[in-house]
Amino acid sequence: MHHTTNATHQHPVPTESAPTGKLTYSPNVDICDMGQEVTLVADVPGAKPDQIDIRYEEGVLTLHAPVESRELPGQPLRQEYGIGDYRRSFRIGEGFDPSQITAEARHGVLTIHLPRLAATQPRKIAVTSA
Amino acid sequence: MHPFHATLRRGFGRPFDELRHELDRLWAPLTAAPPLHGWSTVQRSPRFPAVNLSESADAFVVEAELPGLASEQLDVTVCGDELVISGSRPEATSPAENSEATRVWHRRERGSGTFERRLALPASVDGQRVEAQLVDGVLRVTCPKAIEAKPRKITVQAS
Repeated sequence: MHHTTNATHQHPVPTESAPTGKLTYSPNVDICDMGQEVTLVADVPGAKPDQIDIRYEEGVLTLHAPVESRELPGQPLRQEYGIGDYRRSFRIGEGFDPSQITAEARHGVLTIHLPRLAATQPRKIAVTSA
Repeated sequence: MHPFHATLRRGFGRPFDELRHELDRLWAPLTAAPPLHGWSTVQRSPRFPAVNLSESADAFVVEAELPGLASEQLDVTVCGDELVISGSRPEATSPAENSEATRVWHRRERGSGTFERRLALPASVDGQRVEAQLVDGVLRVTCPKAIEAKPRKITVQAS
């Protein structure tokens, strides 16, 4: 007895047509706030890690993962998904040090670590008695 | 797994298989552990992974996007004309790294858990020669056609 999919992702839908005529897809993401850092994980199957472009400007994080077109040999019989670049932006606000942002990609999954600036981390203020 | 699965021929075994899958699908939401997204995920993605399929003279080629899976987390099996892709995708962040109490999720779209996709190919394939590759989260399975499924030119002999 097996269970069919109980929790797997929905395939991204094309969001826009790039100037080249190739479709662009919005990747599925998980965004988790861990206090000292925010971690963003995106599904970008088919993207080469060294071609992924990540920018953080004015509180907006933008990722662009180019995907080389790949065609199956012969005649297509079934096409359930399309292939194209991944692009998506997130308004994450100020409070992150651009120089400290790191990212890694493995098995078609991109992980971006955004450490918070020390000044914006919650701080407990001790009340002293006079 | 059905004990007679390997020997049942096309057209005979299929209705039972379909019924079994239908029943499994009906039961899955009731027996599976609740997914982290909530129950709606079951309806949202009935077929995972999505596949593209092509046919050349010698082979069927199946491609599926499976980001986040290592090859050891994935099973690809072929039986006659049926291709099965199954596996399990781990969660983005392992619970050991951070306790649930300190994590606040802003978006959870990726999902995790087990999946199985059964795909009926248009003809029998040579199971011994099937090859699968996983590169950057994209699986490509090349299934050479079985000899009996390949077109064969018959020479007409003059008497």
